[in-house]
Amino acid sequence: MKIADKIQILADAAKYDASCSSSGSSRTSAPDGTGNAAMSGICHSWSADGRCISLLKILMSNACVYDCGYCINRRSNNLARATFTPEEIADLTINFYLRNYIEGLFLSSAVYASPDKTMADMVEVCRLLRQKYRFNGYIHLKVIPGAANDLVQQAGFLADRMSVNIELPSEASLKRLAPQKSKQGILAPMKQIGENFNGFKLERKKTRNAPHFCPAGQTTQMIVGASAESDLQILNLTENLYNKMSLKRVYYSAYIAVNDGPLLPAVSTAPPLVREHRLYQADWLLRFYKFQAHEILSPAFPNLDERLDPKAAWALRNFDLFPIDINRASYEELLRVPGIGITSARRIIKTRRVAAIREQDLKKIGMVFKRARFFITLNGKYLGDAGLSHQHIVSAMCKAEPPSSKKLQYNSRQLRLF
Amino acid sequence: MNPVVYLHDGSFEGLLHAVSAAVKSQQKIHGIYAEQCYSPQIFDSLVQIQTDSQQALRLFEYLKNLKGAAARFAVNGFLSDDRKVGFHLYQMVRECLVHGAKATRLYTHDSIRYLDNLSHKVNVEAHRFTGLIRFRILEDGLQYAPFAPDCMVIGHCALHFKQRLKNRRWILHDIRRNHAMYWDGNVLQSIDIDDDFTNHVRQHGEIPESRLSVEERHYQQLWKVFHTAIANRDRNNLDLQRQFMPRRYWKYLVEMR
Ligand code: SF4
Repeated sequence: MKIADKIQILADAAKYDASCSSSGSSRTSAPDGTGNAAMSGICHSWSADGRCISLLKILMSNACVYDCGYCINRRSNNLARATFTPEEIADLTINFYLRNYIEGLFLSSAVYASPDKTMADMVEVCRLLRQKYRFNGYIHLKVIPGAANDLVQQAGFLADRMSVNIELPSEASLKRLAPQKSKQGILAPMKQIGENFNGFKLERKKTRNAPHFCPAGQTTQMIVGASAESDLQILNLTENLYNKMSLKRVYYSAYIAVNDGPLLPAVSTAPPLVREHRLYQADWLLRFYKFQAHEILSPAFPNLDERLDPKAAWALRNFDLFPIDINRASYEELLRVPGIGITSARRIIKTRRVAAIREQDLKKIGMVFKRARFFITLNGKYLGDAGLSHQHIVSAMCKAEPPSSKKLQYNSRQLRLF
Repeated sequence: MNPVVYLHDGSFEGLLHAVSAAVKSQQKIHGIYAEQCYSPQIFDSLVQIQTDSQQALRLFEYLKNLKGAAARFAVNGFLSDDRKVGFHLYQMVRECLVHGAKATRLYTHDSIRYLDNLSHKVNVEAHRFTGLIRFRILEDGLQYAPFAPDCMVIGHCALHFKQRLKNRRWILHDIRRNHAMYWDGNVLQSIDIDDDFTNHVRQHGEIPESRLSVEERHYQQLWKVFHTAIANRDRNNLDLQRQFMPRRYWKYLVEMR
């Protein structure tokens, strides 16, 4: 099979993966080596669906011996199969990298032969790149659940970032839809990576030449909408993963109904893109806005509102905390106002040190005024319409959703018509 | 009195000298432009600056000592190639003389915001091109990358690749300004590129056939295959793609040609 055909099959199979981030690692280039990994992440191109391409994201193979219900590559599906050799992937990576097409490699794979054989080949790709080609760019490796500890260990010394996919948000769903994988097979390597990551980081503080272990940390991914978990369960799990496993990021991927099966949503079901979008917004609140999962959702409201971003929904439910005053509120309070982001909150604080903020300054500061105005006062003056009922404010906030969210909602309504 | 307009030679020193002269003059200043992008207005009274780098340096030292963003606004403002930057720098310097360094944090001041935006624009474009530059590898291993940025970001980019590709030999070529920089593995320097070669690249977006090796074509082809295969066809969003990667950048992008 020609290399181009393999790329066609194995890049196509890799695209259902949600992660495209390459940030969080700064590997300085060795004197005789090629490349470094930039801290902030660099996009090299954008694909026709508008996503950033920064890594050569590809599967080693799609010839899977497992049969996970939700997966297009499962053994019982009839489709074109291909498998790269480690040398082929290494050669592609270094040649794309030198031409500045990519920032590095994101390698994942279906399980061919056995988990150990698959993992060993993936480690071999890394070894070729690091040792033969002296490649210092970014490598993100997916860990194959059930692979031997020492393979995971070797991988940790070669890769910048690793991820073990949670796949489904609960053990019960995992048993039902991915019977050949076990919770243990997923959590054990995750724990191993987490402990080594922290261990070697400490070690490096003591002696400068202790080795790096997976310096950009680990991430995971779960599929949303293939099984019945609520958003509250998903956010609680996410919060635990951040706190207990020190994960860098959790990715969600809206389930694309590719297979028929009694345990699965029908193939005609549209992928829950709006839900995925809202989960990412909620995740953002956890990571950057100092929210906790139980503030965003509760057993009484276990699912995110599709019409509203989670911050607006929170603010409307806690309307008694508002309005707050732009010239007096603390940074933390400002962050909780819908329409004020990290940049505009910082600007408000900075500007306030020089001069009090006036009404005509608000838009210049970069806040989304039509969203924020219901929640703020300026030197005591309320900026929303006085006497508007709560119901009206809720609908005004839905109308003031950013165009990108609206477009997503609109498209998903359209899809459902078919 | 007629509005006063200062003209300079378009260099960084020229710009700073003009700004400094305008601040000192106490006149009402209408604009500060590089000669090549000024179209004469009938009532303007012109002051032509003969660049004196001492004057420029003095102002620059003052801005650097202010800490804050003042020096960055001046440098990035120049790199942005923006027509009106001189006037806004003049306003900024006047504010700084009154308020000191904190003047550069006055986001509510029109000129400060203008300069902040310009500075942001330059940084964003420089960062963007660290990703969007595409090298062609010639037979002898020399790597050549043509590109056409809005701002003068070749310096930023060269520093980036000096780290990343330090054991390779490469050329970055800003086709719009016909300015090229060459890294030979040890030293970074400006060089001149042959006119015929440059014209060919400008016209076709690609280096001449005769220099394009079989191997180079092979990897370009594979990259295109990958670029197409990775897109999710039922989530097509060409507007979004264009928003991140505007059409004017496509000419030298292997995958978009
Ligand atoms: S192991 Fe991975 S590739 Fe194989 S069927 Fe399961 S999810 Fe798909």
